[in-house]
Amino acid sequence: MSELLAVENLQKYFPVTRGMVFQKEVGQVKAVDGVNFTLEKGQTLGVVGESGCGKSTMARCIARLLEPTGGKIVFDGRDITHLNRNEMRPIRRDMMMVFQDPYASLNARKRVGSIVGEPLEVHGIGTEQDRKRRVQELLEIVGLNPEHFNRFPHEFSGGQRQRIGIARALVINPKLVICDEPVSALDVSVQAQILNLLKDLQQDFDLTYIFIAHDLNVVRHVSDRVMVMYLGAPVETGGKTELYTEPKHPYTGALLSAVPIADPTLGRARKQIVLEGDVPSPLNPPEACRFHPRCPRFVDGKCNVDPPELTPVAGNPEHEFACHFPLERWPMDEDEIRRRPALAGAAE
Amino acid sequence: MAYFLIRRVFWAIFLFFVATLITYIIFFVIPTDPAQIACGTHCTAGLIAHIRKSLHLDLPIYQQYWLFIWNLLRHQSLGYSFQNGASVRWLIGQDAPVTASLVFGGAIFWLTISIPIGILSALKPRSILDRAAMIFVLVGISAPAVWIGLILIYVIGYKLGWTPLGNYCSIVPSSTAGGCSGPAEWAYHLILPWMTFMFLFAALYVRLIRANVMETMSEDYVRTARAKGASASRVLFQHVLRNSMLPVVTILGMDIGLALGGAVFTETVFQMRGLGSQLVSSALADDLPVVVGIVVFACLAVILFNFFVDVAYAWLDPRIRLST
Amino acid sequence: MALLEVNDLQTRFRTDDGIVKAVSGVSFSLEKGETLGVVGESGSGKSVTFLTVMGLVDMRHAQVEGSVRFDGQEILGASSSSLQKIRGSRIGMIFQDPMTSLNPVKRIGWQLEEAVLLHNDVTHAEARRRSVEILQEVEIPRADARIDDYPHQFSGGMRQRVMIAMALINKPEVLIADEPTTALDVTTQAQILRLMRKLQDEHEMAIVMITHDLGVVAELANDVLVMYGGRVVEQAQVDHLFAKPEMPYTWGLLGSLPRLNVTSERLEQIPGQPPSLLHPPKGCSFNPRCAYVFDRCRQELPELAAGAVGDEHRFRCHLPDEERARIWEAKKAALAAEGSAA
Repeated sequence: MSELLAVENLQKYFPVTRGMVFQKEVGQVKAVDGVNFTLEKGQTLGVVGESGCGKSTMARCIARLLEPTGGKIVFDGRDITHLNRNEMRPIRRDMMMVFQDPYASLNARKRVGSIVGEPLEVHGIGTEQDRKRRVQELLEIVGLNPEHFNRFPHEFSGGQRQRIGIARALVINPKLVICDEPVSALDVSVQAQILNLLKDLQQDFDLTYIFIAHDLNVVRHVSDRVMVMYLGAPVETGGKTELYTEPKHPYTGALLSAVPIADPTLGRARKQIVLEGDVPSPLNPPEACRFHPRCPRFVDGKCNVDPPELTPVAGNPEHEFACHFPLERWPMDEDEIRRRPALAGAAE
Repeated sequence: MAYFLIRRVFWAIFLFFVATLITYIIFFVIPTDPAQIACGTHCTAGLIAHIRKSLHLDLPIYQQYWLFIWNLLRHQSLGYSFQNGASVRWLIGQDAPVTASLVFGGAIFWLTISIPIGILSALKPRSILDRAAMIFVLVGISAPAVWIGLILIYVIGYKLGWTPLGNYCSIVPSSTAGGCSGPAEWAYHLILPWMTFMFLFAALYVRLIRANVMETMSEDYVRTARAKGASASRVLFQHVLRNSMLPVVTILGMDIGLALGGAVFTETVFQMRGLGSQLVSSALADDLPVVVGIVVFACLAVILFNFFVDVAYAWLDPRIRLST
Repeated sequence: MALLEVNDLQTRFRTDDGIVKAVSGVSFSLEKGETLGVVGESGSGKSVTFLTVMGLVDMRHAQVEGSVRFDGQEILGASSSSLQKIRGSRIGMIFQDPMTSLNPVKRIGWQLEEAVLLHNDVTHAEARRRSVEILQEVEIPRADARIDDYPHQFSGGMRQRVMIAMALINKPEVLIADEPTTALDVTTQAQILRLMRKLQDEHEMAIVMITHDLGVVAELANDVLVMYGGRVVEQAQVDHLFAKPEMPYTWGLLGSLPRLNVTSERLEQIPGQPPSLLHPPKGCSFNPRCAYVFDRCRQELPELAAGAVGDEHRFRCHLPDEERARIWEAKKAALAAEGSAA
């Protein structure tokens, strides 16, 4: 039973209200609409997607910073979906978050030692002496000078502040660390430091990660499995190799081909698929398959009527996708991707 | 936009009722006996009982309030002064123009001064002009209105004799008031009060405008405008000003609304019978109807003004105007 | 003759803490129709360099030296009126965040027409016609209706297209794009980059692409400037730069990128952080972080010079040629080994 986290059909809807005095609900923003995955201990699940795909909302639901509208979250064998604040408190020791913005996620008025030590204080662990020692231990582990624990956040650079955030997340020995775009705001040269640090820490402390990012390269580097989200639901989930070398969902393909390659020769030779239109808003998601308005393989009457289910790839149950017309091979360019096979049932 | 307006009107009406109700309750529930006060010094028990009945003080509080509102809406009456029996409405009618002249005139004055100074200070920070403006701001904020008024009266009115020392002259020419009527006299007598009023507010607005303009100048879209080849003056007038003035509109509405309620000190120093001084003297004499009447009027003014400000702001900022 | 020629550009800012040397001697030339990629991280001076070229730095606090020749004419230190004639008509500039870079209280039609009317003596109707036309060219659907909308009514990608439209409406010879896609989603970025290439072909325009993303540079640029600490530390044709980078910082940059086709356990990391421009390190500005540093690096700033390869590829490094070649071969072999394992 090494499954640390199981998420079943997670939903989070935000009401949209209108009304002069008494607010009446007229619609819902379906930020997260049907997320399923399991996470084994010691593994990293990468979650990738563009704006409005719901990845951050999902992270906050799992961390129970938000209460899910539907579905189930089972953490370490326990159903935490609707626990109240008091019941969640002991569980929060095992589940911590690292945030994106190293400038906003640290309280500028508190000293670093106090910031990193706060989880210990909140959970009443150890004496003041013990806490100080533990904080300094963590500062050293994340590559900062333990002497600096009396300094303020503004005295550190962006990368160092992110390290402080990581120290804070690890100080109480959590089992699961949810990283919400932890390197997006950092310079490229610093990004590598933090990614290496996260990987080292995972090994040293047997951590389990959910790693959210919009950069496919970064996600591949740190993850074991990757989940691609679009408008609130996963469209494809797979191991880091298969997803990147044999994507099945057209959106995954488009994402992969949109990422610029840091190699001009490879870049020129690459087949590119450029999607039309904008990333839609979750206020009015399209019918059935949410990707159908932008999909180069769209079939009228099927894709906008029949919602595709997550189906595993033949021979590889770990790799799932939700599409009626999955990609037969990869890479493909724009013309090839439009030529889809006939509907299922007809001769192949 | 229409939706936005309807909503604001609704809230304005609602607030008016809440404000008047609270006012009413405070003044008629506090432990002074209105009947006793209304009766005056030569009173007998019988008279008090009679007055109590005629003022409906024997009725439960919600009925009294309802009668008050009914009186107000149906007959536009706010009752009668305990001191001299005059209609409160008439009293307010006499005093309001005084306060209004002071406040609106003062507002125009202070805007005329603070806008250019604020903008110039923002355009040339740390220059001599900027530093002088900041000193002016400091004085304006720190010095009490009374002191400023008295200094002005003494220096300009008395010593230099350039303006009258006080008093208010109606803007409408009238034969009864004699020499003290007509627009020229009206303005002449208001110069010093306007200047006094202006000092504090101009100081605040210079600071506000300076900060806003400086912040707007560093916005990205101003950089874009320059990158398009716009000249500095074009950038200022077309891009910076409108955006930096938006917060000023909001605050202006609030300030005028508040000031209308009673610019007490200035009125007192210059011996102008406006709402502020009326309020103070009536409160000291426990003349409740007058006090309630002025408070109601002030509430109304503030609510109305804030409403206008909201509308103006929504009109100026398309992000609010167009949100469905 | 190059379209834009910059020589030894220096920009220093006077601040309360001291003098910030944002740009310390940048030189390059840009030919007609070409794309110059400018890569750097925070504090590299890449943005300030081009703001200086455009004359958009605050001259009350800045000291600028050097030479900027546009179409043969010196424009550095030119009068505001002559600069205003060039900005927005012959040289256009677009910025990173399209939400804040557009005036929120003016319709985009107004903003586009302003760009036209500032530089052309035409009627409003003509300005409007041109605005609709350019919006169609940047692929904004229903341009004739949307021209009367406000910026907040557009999505991020659409707003960036509007910005591009505004910069191109007067058919400039040079477009300076300062991190134009950094704030956009990756699929939107792909659209914008493709649009920029198309427009460049149609208008024969030179583009300066300022970015921190080496992938974008690889995709778009003909020549690349790598900037660090206010200086150009390497300068080469794009294929040469990626095939054989000559400077440890560039090695570090390329090595620290997680790549789609390579899975490695550890990324190569550059220790430390970008240098302070207030108190830059003595000698080579990269020396505190360089794995191959030796004494000379700490004393003497290396010149931007060509190596054995040829005059086109220049860099700042004291390491001897053979040493550099050896190190790069070793890195390349290691990368190839990991790549084939993937």
